Amino acid sequence: MTKADSILAQFDEHIAKLEADAARERRALEAALRKEKAVTAAPKDAPKAKRPKDAPTAERILEVRGLAKHFGDNAAVAGIDLEVDAGTIVGIVGPNGAGKTTTLSMITGLLRPDAGTVVVHGANVWEDPAAAKRQMGVLPDRLRLFDRLTGNQLLFYAGVLRGLPADTVRERVAQLAASFGLESALSRLVADYSAGMTKKLSLAAALIHSPRLLVLDEPFESVDPVSAANIIEILRKYVAAGGTVLLSSHSMDLIERVCDSVAIIVDGVVLASGTVAEVRGAGSLEDKFVELAGGKSTVEGLEWLHSFSD
Amino acid sequence: MVAQFLGLKLRLLGNLFRRSPWQVFGLIVGLLYGLGAAFAVLIGLVALRTVDVELARSVVVVAGSLIVLGFLFVPLVFGADDTIDPRKFSLFGIPTSRLALGLAAAAFVGVPALVMAIIAAAQVVTWARSVPATIVAIVSALVLVVTCILGSRVTTTVATLLLSTRRAREATGLIGLVVLSALSPLIAIMMTVDWEHQGLAVLHSIADIASWTPLGAVWAAPGSAAAGDAGAASGELIIALAFVGLLWLVWRVLVAAMLVRPDRVSRTRAYTGLGWFARLPASPSGVIAARSLSYWGRDVRYRSALVIVPIVPAVMIGALAVAGVSLHFLVLLPVPIMCFFLAWSTVHNDVAFDNTAVWLHVASNTDGRADRAGRIVPPLVLGLIVIAIGTPLCAWGYGSADVVPSLLGTSLCVLFVGLGLSSVISAGFPYPAVHPGDSPFAQPQSSATGASWVQGLSLLAVLAVTTPTVALAVLGIAFGEGWHIASLLVGLATGGVALWGGIVLGGRVFDARGPELLAFTARY
Repeated sequence: MTKADSILAQFDEHIAKLEADAARERRALEAALRKEKAVTAAPKDAPKAKRPKDAPTAERILEVRGLAKHFGDNAAVAGIDLEVDAGTIVGIVGPNGAGKTTTLSMITGLLRPDAGTVVVHGANVWEDPAAAKRQMGVLPDRLRLFDRLTGNQLLFYAGVLRGLPADTVRERVAQLAASFGLESALSRLVADYSAGMTKKLSLAAALIHSPRLLVLDEPFESVDPVSAANIIEILRKYVAAGGTVLLSSHSMDLIERVCDSVAIIVDGVVLASGTVAEVRGAGSLEDKFVELAGGKSTVEGLEWLHSFSD
Repeated sequence: MVAQFLGLKLRLLGNLFRRSPWQVFGLIVGLLYGLGAAFAVLIGLVALRTVDVELARSVVVVAGSLIVLGFLFVPLVFGADDTIDPRKFSLFGIPTSRLALGLAAAAFVGVPALVMAIIAAAQVVTWARSVPATIVAIVSALVLVVTCILGSRVTTTVATLLLSTRRAREATGLIGLVVLSALSPLIAIMMTVDWEHQGLAVLHSIADIASWTPLGAVWAAPGSAAAGDAGAASGELIIALAFVGLLWLVWRVLVAAMLVRPDRVSRTRAYTGLGWFARLPASPSGVIAARSLSYWGRDVRYRSALVIVPIVPAVMIGALAVAGVSLHFLVLLPVPIMCFFLAWSTVHNDVAFDNTAVWLHVASNTDGRADRAGRIVPPLVLGLIVIAIGTPLCAWGYGSADVVPSLLGTSLCVLFVGLGLSSVISAGFPYPAVHPGDSPFAQPQSSATGASWVQGLSLLAVLAVTTPTVALAVLGIAFGEGWHIASLLVGLATGGVALWGGIVLGGRVFDARGPELLAFTARY
């Protein structure tokens, strides 16, 4: 190695270190800002107009502190804090592989975290799972259902597992099927459902025990627009009655329309959170998201795509 | 184009070795097995060189026809994993003829083709007795390899084309099992033939028929040439070549059809009402039992475990009878053996059978004991039915009602202990299982090690716990009544404690390890 090379290498190393330091500082600053915002914003809670008037103050239905999960050397979730007030719809957005599903799985008690606490309605999910899980309705992403049951049987199964008496379950199954447009599908095996129908059925199963908190991972994926509008209406009614929804989605537009507040997760940390208006600032939520997620840097170099091969 | 397909197939083969060490181990075992089988056939064929022409020809034709049959039908029954399915190339816009040729050529890269090439070459050694016979044998060797490899491609493709729906796949898996189990009576019939006196005549007559079918003609031609029968040799060669031509035409048509036809869509069946759910109590253990019962009825993985239950005692008793054990005592075995397989072989990996669907139990914080108790209901009910029907029948066959208590004690003990132990094992030591919807034969490769020690240890544990009861039953048969009653009491006591303890302990394990179980199922 020549002298010039070694100097260059040292220089590169130095730059890399500076960059790492800057990133660390930025994260610390953001964390501090977030704490400050939480302290100052919580008592005001101005934008949460959807809560019914008789609810006295915003109840903290979900409190996540320092949640972390490693898979091997790879930190999927690196210390996430999240607060969700009762009677709101909160969206989690992030690029592919940002740790959304991992976070939601740890909140719902499906994945044991390496560190951190999750408290749902005063009950710690990982210390008092019985009390905490009773408050939650869960729609996981990419997990199987017992798909050799008919839709009817699966909803009945979910209802009874949640401790409801048989008559109540039958009644609710009929009503849920009607609201989700699943009546004609109830007698078919879930294995024969389309992706969108499976999603709707899972959502109905998550709602059947009228939980305080709904945790929905990608509830709108592969659902047609009519059904999505229908689901949104159901969720809004549920929230108006005091329920709370925490959902993840890829669709910024949908999050912007549906959610009261939003958290942007990139590389397993929350980069921005607050009400939708706070997070998006001057531009659209999508612009903010792309900016934070560091996109739009790779569109060069595809010039050959501008002329066709024949 | 052909070179590219060959390269692709080589790379696919090479990549097989870049998986996890255990998968590679399984692959090497499979490779050695294939080469071992080829080597055995090779030795046989070389040895036949010294045998007189007539006998050698008959042996080669019968064994050879079975080999060709195997190449044609094994993929149909077992559902070959088709890495070079023509449909995968449908978006590249390759002309059909070139695609058919390229894919067919690629099929000649692989272990089956290697095995077949070794066998075909060995067959030349058998028949290199005169110049014309050698020439015919060399031509036959080439035709042979092409017949087997192209034939298996055609049947694999037909299988993927016809059996692309879930229900059809499940049906063939089950048919395969039934065929396999039907083979044992066939073997029994073969055993009854007086081979010493009529064996050769039977062999020759089978060979005479087979040599004029596409399966045997290619094997028969060199033999006929060696015997100096030029007419028969050329006739058989023509049949063999015509069969290859036919296979090529079918293959060409299949590729063309596959390119324009999407996966078949199945018609769905409607089920009315709640089924088992309406008949069982609406409690967590009740619905889990109802779910298990529904699955036992609908899921081919459970049904295939069930098909084995009556076969195993039949095979065991047959083997023991051949070994000279008196039927008088063998008659007592079927019920305990069936109970053992019902209890042990069906539910000891039940959580892995659920795959990630078990999240519902974890998210609902389902009581582990309810989960355990619900899952064992189908084998428990079936086992009790088998005991209720089988015990009197066996006692009648034995010729004395005295054995009823010890027979009951042993059967119940085996059933309860097996189910109790399964309850702990399925929560504590799951191993990768066939995924829902896959063929019951598609056992994941990586299961090889974990599965075998879990199965082995649990089997030993069941045997250990039931030993006292069995010992008392044996004493009862030897010395009389008092021991029979003792066997019943000890059997009920150990069985009851094991079942109850298994559900409680398994429930605790399930409660503690719920998320880990889910993570395990998500990994495989």
